[in-house]
Amino acid sequence: MDTRPLAPPQAPAAPVHNSMRFEGSAGEYFKIWIVNIALTIVTLGIFSAWAKVRSRRYFYGNTYIGTHAFDYHAAPIRILIGRAIASAFLLAYFSTAAIAPRFIGFWYLLFLAALPWLIKSSLRFAARNTSYRNVRFDFHGTYWGACKAFILWQMLATITLFLALPFAHRARDYYNINNHSFGQIAFKAVIPVGKLYKIYLAGLALMFGALIVAALPYGLLTGVRAQGALWSLTVGLSSLVAIVAVLGVPTFIAAKTFNLALNKTSLGDNYRFESELSPGRLTWIVLSNALLTIATLGLLHPWARVRRARYMAGCISVIGQADADAFQSMPMPAGNAIGEEVASFFDIDFGL
Amino acid sequence: MPLSGFYFPPGSARQTEAILHLTDDGEYLEVRDGGGAILARAPRPQILVTSRLGGLRRKLEFPDGALFETADNDGVDALVKDHSGALARLERSWRLAAMSLLAIAACTVLFILYGVPAIAAWLAEETPPSVARAMTDHTLKVMDTQLLGPTALPSARQQQVRNRFETIAGWEDRGAGRYTLLLRNAPHVGPNAFALPDGRIVVTDQLVLMAKSDAELDGVLAHEMAHVNHAHGLRSVYQASLVPAAIAFVTGDASQFAQMTVILPAILLQSAYSRKFEQQADDDAAALQRRHGEDPAALAGFLERMELKTCGKAGCAPSWLGSHPATAARAARLRRAPAP
Repeated sequence: MDTRPLAPPQAPAAPVHNSMRFEGSAGEYFKIWIVNIALTIVTLGIFSAWAKVRSRRYFYGNTYIGTHAFDYHAAPIRILIGRAIASAFLLAYFSTAAIAPRFIGFWYLLFLAALPWLIKSSLRFAARNTSYRNVRFDFHGTYWGACKAFILWQMLATITLFLALPFAHRARDYYNINNHSFGQIAFKAVIPVGKLYKIYLAGLALMFGALIVAALPYGLLTGVRAQGALWSLTVGLSSLVAIVAVLGVPTFIAAKTFNLALNKTSLGDNYRFESELSPGRLTWIVLSNALLTIATLGLLHPWARVRRARYMAGCISVIGQADADAFQSMPMPAGNAIGEEVASFFDIDFGL
Repeated sequence: MPLSGFYFPPGSARQTEAILHLTDDGEYLEVRDGGGAILARAPRPQILVTSRLGGLRRKLEFPDGALFETADNDGVDALVKDHSGALARLERSWRLAAMSLLAIAACTVLFILYGVPAIAAWLAEETPPSVARAMTDHTLKVMDTQLLGPTALPSARQQQVRNRFETIAGWEDRGAGRYTLLLRNAPHVGPNAFALPDGRIVVTDQLVLMAKSDAELDGVLAHEMAHVNHAHGLRSVYQASLVPAAIAFVTGDASQFAQMTVILPAILLQSAYSRKFEQQADDDAAALQRRHGEDPAALAGFLERMELKTCGKAGCAPSWLGSHPATAARAARLRRAPAP
């Protein structure tokens, strides 16, 4: 066991570069995953909340910075309650759709009104149940803050025909990052919106470029009345380019904006972050993971998750004095699991 | 046997190398630093110990918020004797993983073959008639605005069809009141007939025009009434939602990705279930016709003419994709239908 203290006593002021590492293994996680699914089936779904906590704990607990890993503390019973409530809402929604479709709009309104609350409480639940070196994270965002960042800014971006999209993106990042704290020390991001514009424009250019390349052969070849093998090959290649572009460009934007946000984030006065996700590599991992998971009927799902976690962790570093001893946290309630469960059930994405 | 690890004071990230040991009376757990000074001490039952999971370090949380962390998993198990070790042992064994995999596969197959149809049938049984009526109203309204128009058949022909409908309905055990006939002109749908959840049966003008004899039309009507008798409409609705719902419940994930990966198998399954329903409806119709002295072969001939018209000589899509069994197989089965 490694028992070296994290703090080198001789150089308290020198900034230290600590890469995140993921140390879990696909084989170990596969066994945990499959046994937990079997238990979930045997218990008619009840165990699923425990399975979820164990899987999260495995991933948090194997993500290291320096000599210590993160920890996940959520109580499964709260997740189970949240999941039951989410299922009840889903059932009510589908019943309405089947019996009285005229009133379906009511559910959309309710969902829209609840959305900021779902986002707020799920971020808070996740933060308060995460710790590093005995110090918990916290989240201070409000309902109104989520309303502005996720709904009003998004509406503005839509009205301006997506000209304001980078502003909306920044509002989401700010809500997410600047409301988080580690113990009592706050995270702070200052993101130049010009750089976000550059990323979105590059994404747009990539998309156009790819679609032109994909469409080009049609223009060139239809003139000479192409047919047979050459034509099939061309159609195949064009479709491949188009598919990779449609799936890859959003990943490109996500990776680039993630890097930007993290590189502009600091924790207190002494720590900052670095992220160097490669858009090409991330796209490759996401695409090949999805294909292999489907092709193996889900058997490779654990391997795919571990592979992605290992790559993501390896791209992120913390820079600052290695001495993390100064961090303190206050005891606090664990937050609300209902929001998180409902949110993850309906697949709401928070960007990070 | 003392365990070595790290000690963190309450709510603090400041770590100290420390050892944990059980006091001589076996009542307390103590954390001491290298010099032997006591850092934390509490009765054993009051200390929260994280459950064992893979190779993760164990954490012992003292009542005041102090934390002791160690990689010595076996040592902790020996000290605290909690139950979490059992689950971790299950999760460590490759043999058990393989058995779980087989059990999951078996459960999935059984659920698909027997569970889904049984649950759907039960739900259909329990569905109040008012709900079935509301669903039918909605479906019919959508179809009437998009696909169906009022019937354009001459009123004499309409009356003939209605008479046949009343006759067949009278043959059914459950009484004629269960079924309602709706005639619709549907140039875009072509010759077709379908049963809706509450017992209304839509027959298109195009189908009526294709029928060459009463026996053919009777076969179609009896087939649709069988769908009503078995509540096939409601059961399909429930079957279609049960598989995704089960996956969402087991994985806690109703996300688009999860749906993407199940959508193709779900469609194939749905067609398989639907083919079963069609076969049952054919069998019932054939039996009903035979009981009343009609030949089910008429329906067989009618189905063959319909396929020729809609799909040409090459025939329709392969049967494992379609919602109906292959026409040739259906026709052969109808002709083989046993006499009462």
